[in-house]
Amino acid sequence: MSATPASGTRPARRTHFEARLNYYSAQNVPLLLSLGILLGLILIYFLLFAVRQHRLPGNFELSTTLNNTMTVGLTAIGQALVVFTGGIDLSVGGIVDVTNSLAAVLMRNNPGSMLGVSLLVILVGAGAGLINGLFVTYGRLQPIIVTIATLTIWQGVALLILPQPGGAIPPPVTAILAGNIAPLAGLPSSVVILVLLLLLWQALRRTGFVVTLYAIGNDERAAHANGAPVNLARIGAYTLGGAFSGAAGLYLAAVATSGDATTGSQLTLTSIAAVVLGGISLFGGRGSVVGALAGACILTLLLNVLFFAGVNPQLQEFFQGLFLILAVVISTLIRRLLQSGRQVGGGSL
Amino acid sequence: MTSIEGVAISKSFGGVRALNHTSFAADAGEVHALVGENGAGKSTMIKILSGILRPDSGTIRVQGRETTLDSPQVALRLGIGTIFQELTLMPYMTVAENLLIGREPRSGGLISHSGLDMKAHELLDEAGISGIEPLELVANLSLSQRQIVEIIKVVSRRPRILFMDEPTSALAEQEVAWLFGLVRKLREQGTCIVFTSHRWNEIKDIADRITIFRNGENVGTYTAADLSEQEAVERMTGRKLEMLYPEPITLEDPAPILHVEGLSAPALHGISLTVHQGEVLGVGGLAGQGQRELFLTLFGVRHARSGTIQIGGKAVRINNPRDAIRHGLALIPEDRKTEGLLLPLPVRQNLTLPILGRLARSGFIRRQQETDLVQAMIQELAVRTPTSDQPVGALSGGNQQKVLIGRWLLTRSRVLLLYDITRGVDVATKHDIYELIRRLCQEGHAILFYSTDTEEMAHLCHRVLVMREGKIIDELHGPNIAPEAIVAASLHVAAEVTIDASTQVSSSEVSSS
Amino acid sequence: MSTKTTSDAGASRGLAAWRQLPRSQQGMILAYVAVLLLFVIGGIYRPGFVRLDNIGQLLLLSSFTGLVAAGQTFVILIGGIDLSVPWVLNAMAVLLTTTSLGQDSRAWWVVPLCLIVGALIGLVNGVGIVFFDIPPVVMTLGMNGVMQGLVLGMTGGFTCPTCNSVAPPSVQGIFVGQFLFGLPNGLLVWIVIAIIVGVVLSLTTLGRRIYALGNNALAAYLAGVNVRAVTLTVYALGGLFAALAGIALTAFGQQATLGMGDPFLFDSIAAVVIGGASILGGRGNYWGTIAGAIFLVVLRAVLQEFNISEAGRSIASGIVILVALLLYGREAREV
Repeated sequence: MSATPASGTRPARRTHFEARLNYYSAQNVPLLLSLGILLGLILIYFLLFAVRQHRLPGNFELSTTLNNTMTVGLTAIGQALVVFTGGIDLSVGGIVDVTNSLAAVLMRNNPGSMLGVSLLVILVGAGAGLINGLFVTYGRLQPIIVTIATLTIWQGVALLILPQPGGAIPPPVTAILAGNIAPLAGLPSSVVILVLLLLLWQALRRTGFVVTLYAIGNDERAAHANGAPVNLARIGAYTLGGAFSGAAGLYLAAVATSGDATTGSQLTLTSIAAVVLGGISLFGGRGSVVGALAGACILTLLLNVLFFAGVNPQLQEFFQGLFLILAVVISTLIRRLLQSGRQVGGGSL
Repeated sequence: MTSIEGVAISKSFGGVRALNHTSFAADAGEVHALVGENGAGKSTMIKILSGILRPDSGTIRVQGRETTLDSPQVALRLGIGTIFQELTLMPYMTVAENLLIGREPRSGGLISHSGLDMKAHELLDEAGISGIEPLELVANLSLSQRQIVEIIKVVSRRPRILFMDEPTSALAEQEVAWLFGLVRKLREQGTCIVFTSHRWNEIKDIADRITIFRNGENVGTYTAADLSEQEAVERMTGRKLEMLYPEPITLEDPAPILHVEGLSAPALHGISLTVHQGEVLGVGGLAGQGQRELFLTLFGVRHARSGTIQIGGKAVRINNPRDAIRHGLALIPEDRKTEGLLLPLPVRQNLTLPILGRLARSGFIRRQQETDLVQAMIQELAVRTPTSDQPVGALSGGNQQKVLIGRWLLTRSRVLLLYDITRGVDVATKHDIYELIRRLCQEGHAILFYSTDTEEMAHLCHRVLVMREGKIIDELHGPNIAPEAIVAASLHVAAEVTIDASTQVSSSEVSSS
Repeated sequence: MSTKTTSDAGASRGLAAWRQLPRSQQGMILAYVAVLLLFVIGGIYRPGFVRLDNIGQLLLLSSFTGLVAAGQTFVILIGGIDLSVPWVLNAMAVLLTTTSLGQDSRAWWVVPLCLIVGALIGLVNGVGIVFFDIPPVVMTLGMNGVMQGLVLGMTGGFTCPTCNSVAPPSVQGIFVGQFLFGLPNGLLVWIVIAIIVGVVLSLTTLGRRIYALGNNALAAYLAGVNVRAVTLTVYALGGLFAALAGIALTAFGQQATLGMGDPFLFDSIAAVVIGGASILGGRGNYWGTIAGAIFLVVLRAVLQEFNISEAGRSIASGIVILVALLLYGREAREV
């Protein structure tokens, strides 16, 4: 942005729409990259599926894919909120363990119980998140180690609730959360939930709360100097993050129709992978929940692609790990390419 | 009427007294300058009166009423606005989002992005600034543009009390005139304005009253018209102007040690310079004009795109600090706490970090040899520390700076790159540092020197190069370089943003030497 | 009268001396004290708990965590983290058994091979972190998945014919069996490692550079520390120690199993933190980690004496970390 001559006349202002378009595309390169990868994977998936099954993927495939994605997606949203502040939440898996066990044990087949236990379980997640938030904010402890500790605690609590896989989720709950909505031509409910989540984010990102989260991730000292409610917002991020993990546990139970106190553990690291694949920086200060959801979809689709490409299922972890690393490498290289043409602004080393 | 008052404020940072039962008061409808050397306590007082720091003791009164400023939020609500030296902008958010943080326009309860954009345009227009795009990320702005955004952000909140801590360090003459125009308008409206600056002519231009701080104490408040620069400097430093700075050494027939030809890097364009034995070469100009990049490129932190560097007549390639150290360069950076010292580590380890290779045999450090070197350096620089194992973070600012300097003296470097090294250092230590520089010159070292204090540069340097936008635009030399000459050479350049003619103050109101 | 005041004076001097200590050393001392307390509690409940052979066994169990945590200590000291230890450990254990096929004649080159491969994997972690700006969490996480996939894929889910091989008997002998004073051999290995790690950290240039880097990477860089080389070295050490732990575990348990490395991720990080090191780097040492490793193992043993279930032990481990952090892991308040 170099100087215009001091002639006293202002340059013609671009149309607002043009300016916003330019700004959006420049500032959201990581998100666009992530969506690009997602699109690419969708195409490859369609191709491989068509070659193997001699038809295009249909409603059933959409339903199962989205159901598998939804659990990871919900944890990814919770993780994203925490990561925006520059923190990290490793207790995600533990919260999922507790909430899915709790749901499986407590839920009975009547509307009151189904609704009540669902809400309870999300509240429990929020409570767990609140504890994390309090330790990090008022205890002034580092997020990575606090959440490792609470992860272990919740893993133990989950085993106390449900020592062996079991319990049951009433069929109506599974039908509502993970089934298809017959009157709407069998549209999977997960699509509806996905759309609702995206709408929720469109609203949430325009609140002072989320702006403060970004500010904390940018420069906490500066955010504080501007009068932003740094402590409250950070606690809110962890609490909300915990609520989403709780919702993920509920969803997982619904899909599995029973509970298991150990299935959640792997979700911790998967949620981080989803966030990273969604173009969100682990240093905080920027990124979008849309990216987190895209990252979750990428992970699920990758598994589908591997399956239809005939890859040995035992090599799944290998490819997921490799994919994660390569995705970050590529985004780093792209970022360096873009920056080499850019003027260095004033500021720190 | 007194707008804001700090009474008998004391503040210590880990055993170092920054303010000692110090009082300060400023009135409504006045421009009050707060002056003093680096480390005198000005920034600390401002931070306390802005709610960023809490005083150890003392009272604060706002509009006559006693208050505790628990947080910046409380201060903002009471109408206190502050432009800090370290800008409070979010790099990964846009200019608009930064300008309106905490008071974003909303529709239906949610932040409206088009509203943000419009309101930001409004604020920029009102201030008479164009050339800054509201949708631009702050990270992509230059330092002076950021300073302008920060100023507009704070001023547009219509504070009743406005603190400005060195607001003009990166601003060109027109931009300074613009700022002072704003300040005068605010004064007319009854705002109480307190600002700090190192530029005497600016202070004389705009201030009604001047308060002088020295070593954490309030030396006195004076009417600006009644105070001469001579008197002010004497009160700021406690000694006569002539006694402040040692006579610069001039060696007989000095050989050139550092020779730079056509050095280019991002933000540097064809820099050529020569520093001789025993010479202190100053690098001046407004803040953010490439001085920092010059120092970093010479030291290998930034990559040079073209150009040559010669040390002692030999061409060298410097790709990283290790190369630089090997070829006899030393860099003492601006912020010793974040760029220089390792605060929790002992003095000993801080002193010997760059020379570990020399001190070790097959990877094992020779303790006795290290102790000898460390003790000798502590004594030579008169560092006040109980033992060499004391964590360096427990020392006072001045002693910390001595440790940092000591580290580089141990490297036996021929060329010293000194970047704003007296910042935040008390007066006594500062004079020790001046004496040290004099001695180093006598021993034949070559020194490249940057300081935000033009007075200091004028008296310490044999020559001063003035930089603008990564190029050298002027060179000042001679037996007596005047500080005003350095400032003048820096200021008479085009502004980075376009300032609306109607808001500009007429040139007759701007006094520049 | 005078004895009272002398002991008071002594106490206040002791308190002052305590306050002078850096927080990481306070943490280390508290961890050792806690270990002693645990032994006391266990001994009161069941006198056999503090018999030499039981203590020896507990210490041997701690040594496995201790070995993994040695690598983790290096990595955390520079402000990083290594989440790939579970499957690097597992992979090297499998490499040991399937390559040596239980034969002593091969042991002399198979063991160094495993150590070198482990170090190389760690080095790859370092390369990703140093040259491609990949955050350590992501790089090591990805590497963990890669190693897991490789192990599962190449062993066919652990159904390969050589998967049931044992570790060479000579290697087993190094870790099992008693050589000195009735203490298990593996313990001696751990003591040797501890001395080497301690020496490196406190007496060598590498150690100084590690602490400098962990405290302030920028300042270290400007002082001429080769940040890249130190980082690569440290992550290679992480891989090396994970491999060493894998060899030790396989020697002890004779065979490699699937998922044998999983418990060590939490335990290695917890041991480092309980031992007083800062998770951000720059503070702490291996003696603290040792205390942390022993503490975790003995805590679980004591809880088991009281018949607390695995779930309960898990909860207790987490609470212990939080307590340790609150006692000596808090960041300073912004003045």
